[in-house]
Amino acid sequence: MFQSQKHVFWEALLVTILIFGIGVFIGVVIENWRTSRAGELYQKSEVGLLDIRTQNEIYSLGEFNCDSAIEENLKFAGRIYEEAKILERYETAERLTESLNLEHKKYDVLRALLWINSMKIKKQCNASYHNVVYLYDYIEPSIDIKAEQAVFSRILSELKDKKGNKIMLIPMAGDNNLSSINILIARYNVTEKELPVILIDEKIKITELQKVEEIEKLIR
Amino acid sequence: MILPYVYLTYMFISLYFLFMFLFIYLRNRKEIFSYPEANKKYTVSVIIPVFNEEKTIADTIKHVFDIDYDLLEVIVVNDCSTDNTFKILQNLGRNYPKLRILNHKKNAGKAASLNDALKIAKTELVVVVDADSYPAKNSLKQMVGFFNNEKVGAVTCPVFVRNTNKFIEKLQAIEYRMISLTRKLLDYVDAIYVTPGPLAVYRKKALDEINGFDKKNMTEDIEITWHLTYAGWQRKMCLSTSVSSTAPNKIKGWFKQRRRWNVGGLQCINKYRASLFNPKKGMLGFFIIPFFILSTFLGLLGLSIFFYLITRRAISNFLYTKYSIIAETPLLTLDDFYITPSILNYLGVALFVLGFIFLIIVFAVLKEKILKKENILNMPFYMIVYLAFYPFIMLAAIWHMIKGKRIWR
Repeated sequence: MFQSQKHVFWEALLVTILIFGIGVFIGVVIENWRTSRAGELYQKSEVGLLDIRTQNEIYSLGEFNCDSAIEENLKFAGRIYEEAKILERYETAERLTESLNLEHKKYDVLRALLWINSMKIKKQCNASYHNVVYLYDYIEPSIDIKAEQAVFSRILSELKDKKGNKIMLIPMAGDNNLSSINILIARYNVTEKELPVILIDEKIKITELQKVEEIEKLIR
Repeated sequence: MILPYVYLTYMFISLYFLFMFLFIYLRNRKEIFSYPEANKKYTVSVIIPVFNEEKTIADTIKHVFDIDYDLLEVIVVNDCSTDNTFKILQNLGRNYPKLRILNHKKNAGKAASLNDALKIAKTELVVVVDADSYPAKNSLKQMVGFFNNEKVGAVTCPVFVRNTNKFIEKLQAIEYRMISLTRKLLDYVDAIYVTPGPLAVYRKKALDEINGFDKKNMTEDIEITWHLTYAGWQRKMCLSTSVSSTAPNKIKGWFKQRRRWNVGGLQCINKYRASLFNPKKGMLGFFIIPFFILSTFLGLLGLSIFFYLITRRAISNFLYTKYSIIAETPLLTLDDFYITPSILNYLGVALFVLGFIFLIIVFAVLKEKILKKENILNMPFYMIVYLAFYPFIMLAAIWHMIKGKRIWR
């Protein structure tokens, strides 16, 4: 009896490999779907940013329409802030592949462009809104930094709810090894060791946790 | 990011064993309760080792003599009981002429008691019965036929829990059913690794060949089974009959019993480690020892990861709360309830569902009413909470071994 049923070990192994393989395949498909969704959102955002920059170029040929440029820029910032939340949710799930990391990098470059654009518009139009750039530790934050960043995110989310279009909230990874961002943050004296950092109007640097009301005071 | 891969390894191994058991069951389901008729009249004696069993010994002996089989003698070894066990035995001796009492002046342990009885037993088969266990009337009639095969050295049967009033007893009743069917399934691949104490029939010749029970081992029933396997004897399981036994009704007793089982298992691994993957030792080296090692290793690894994650989460929550208080931000918002399930979550759910289906199969095969209200509640609890305690018991067993404590009761 024993001899004749020994093959059950191999049969079980083969079926396990098959079922397990299908499970992992489905998992990778789900992850790829999430990545491609993030990719789609990114492409739309990329087009959106190019559109804004083209508009700015057009305005620079003649009379610059500041109201429209500011409005478009703020609308766009709001959109990519929402997309950042979706990306964050995908990233918090345990993953088998690292494909989302690339999407994150692409978004960071996009946010850097948005920041530059926002600085330009502010200067050109003497706009009253405030650039609030949140630079966080993305690659390997310690447990302490992670907790601190979670609270920073909540503070900024509250701030955005309160201030609405009076602030341009741009969160981006400060340690994603992107030359453009490295140059930008170095320009405002932010180092990777200091992350997370909130930079208000490229002048005020916040590295310690503060109440929303205190940050509000800095914005006024 | 090694954790997802550790989870996947766990899932793969669990899935493998689940499929293995399912395949064996599907292949043999029609004859799972069958047993061979004995082709001769085997001479049988029963051995009951006793230590402080005044509450149950009379009933056990009554049940043994009620067995529908002609027994040559019933040898009870009183291992220096400090209660009224010996007096009760002397009284019973007047009613049962075939009852033979051996009285130890010093407590020698269960294995030594069994070995002393083996020395005087002169039958072809010896039946070991625990002092708190009641074999079914038909048990021996259905079990002895397996010895028609000259290679069979031991035959076991399902052990069911007799006391099922308390919650902990009900959970053990589920566990015993699970163990019973899986042991029968392991029979089909010659991988039975224990012939439990409540009721096991042994070929006397096989026990003599291996010099009886190991006095140093804390689970003589596991050790004797490994020893028989080592010596090339087959072990069989008769699912059509049963023995009922008393399960611990308090957490402390339950924990001590399980710790002893685990210590015994570890002792066996240590004793037979040289047989690991030894082709001459068959399933002992290729299934039983690796299975035990894997269970130990995976259990402990799982426990370590569990502690790591819990500690990490606790620190993280503490820091988050601390920083939230500093910044005066809300601790919870709606966003915190948004769940993004990963592949590991899906696989975990799939594995749980498959495990649950297997448990339902066990209940259905053993004719247990699945839709009983208490089963509907107890089965998920058994799968989620009860089984999660296993690694803790293993850890306690290892600690016990390191400290050198040996308690066989």
